[in-house]
Amino acid sequence: MAAARLLQAVVPRFSCLGSLGKAAPSTSQLSSRLYGTLLAPEANQQVEPNVINDRIITEPLRHPDFFNVKELFSLKDLFDARVHLGHKKGCRHRFMEPYIFGCRLDQDIIDLDQTMKHLQLALNFTAHIAYRKGIILFVNRNRQFGHLVEVTARDCGEYAHTRYWQGGLLTNAHVQYGTGIRLPDLLVFISTLNNVFEPHVAVRDAAKMNIPTVGVVDTNCNPSIITYPIPGNDDSPLAVELYCKIFKMTITRAKNKRKQMEVLYGLQNKADSS
Amino acid sequence: MATLSWSRAASRSQVWQLLGAARRGSSSGTGDSPGTGVSLPEPEKRPSGLTGAGPQQVPSKNVESFASMLRCSPLVQMGPAKGKIVLGQIFHIVEDDLYIDFGGKFHCVCKRPEVDGEKYQKGSRVRLRLVDLELTSRFLGAKTDTTLLEADAVLLGLLESREIRQKE
Repeated sequence: MAAARLLQAVVPRFSCLGSLGKAAPSTSQLSSRLYGTLLAPEANQQVEPNVINDRIITEPLRHPDFFNVKELFSLKDLFDARVHLGHKKGCRHRFMEPYIFGCRLDQDIIDLDQTMKHLQLALNFTAHIAYRKGIILFVNRNRQFGHLVEVTARDCGEYAHTRYWQGGLLTNAHVQYGTGIRLPDLLVFISTLNNVFEPHVAVRDAAKMNIPTVGVVDTNCNPSIITYPIPGNDDSPLAVELYCKIFKMTITRAKNKRKQMEVLYGLQNKADSS
Repeated sequence: MATLSWSRAASRSQVWQLLGAARRGSSSGTGDSPGTGVSLPEPEKRPSGLTGAGPQQVPSKNVESFASMLRCSPLVQMGPAKGKIVLGQIFHIVEDDLYIDFGGKFHCVCKRPEVDGEKYQKGSRVRLRLVDLELTSRFLGAKTDTTLLEADAVLLGLLESREIRQKE
């Protein structure tokens, strides 16, 4: 019973923004809510795939760092990429004060020890989402790095939105794109501000639609409604290249791990049944 | 008094290398310069950018703490940015505007000088005199500063090859 429901949570039902949809035949009666709603299990599901998928889904949850994201970055890497440099004191946002190490000659310095912890949490979460075949949308409105973010998203097989964000993209999706649209499961912000130094609309909209967000917050950003904030520099090219590289490695690693686990449990199952 | 004026002269001619090895490695860098490039005021007219083993060169048996990395970093050792000479590298050119990265949070934009204008290409190493690390200002009625996302520096000239050879 529980395994069947988990299976339905995993298998995507609707065609999402442009990718191929693996629509199961019995989906049409669903209302226009997110696919994440769990339904009553159907009687014609086989038992074996449910058991395998149950193991595949629950196995990573037993380990605190299943994908070993800690080894993807080090304190020295962050330091050399100037992640600790913040804006001037006058640009500081009040809610960033816990993450700031200090202020040196009017320039804020971000505490990299906290950044390491937050980055590890955020990457772990991203990896789990990618492992479960979730859709990840990279959002960035900083024109200097727009192309880099788009290339990163393309290279890991995910999506990016670095242009003008129309008002109802998330909140009015069923009117703008038709019913039965699948929304992203995670938004990753390389910079949470838009071009006029205000918080990006997608941060608030994702919170409204219950979509978790991961975002790099600089000293002038508001980290309150971001699910996994990563305090760090979002203006230097070296720092942004580092973030993009790390996210790409995490997502690719998670996807490869998923394939690995499917093969592993598939073989195990065949060995058991034969 | 003589020593005071001599040390002042030495610090004035000191050139800070804030760019780490990551950036410098793309162009024809100097031989085995460490990542920090920190040099304390030394009694020579052109102090070298090299020191002995900087903290980053110790093999990572003892992991350095963030506070100590920060304290030894060239940006902090430099002190106030006003009037300091740094080395930068041009990473983007738009006709007459040179976008120069010198190792701070932001880059600076300088006009191409008339002297030796053609020699300033992507990847050229230049000398700058910093004015400000970030151009910010609080306008009337605003809650926070408005930032230009740019540093301010005066372009002094290309890095002389004589200096590079002396550093090695």
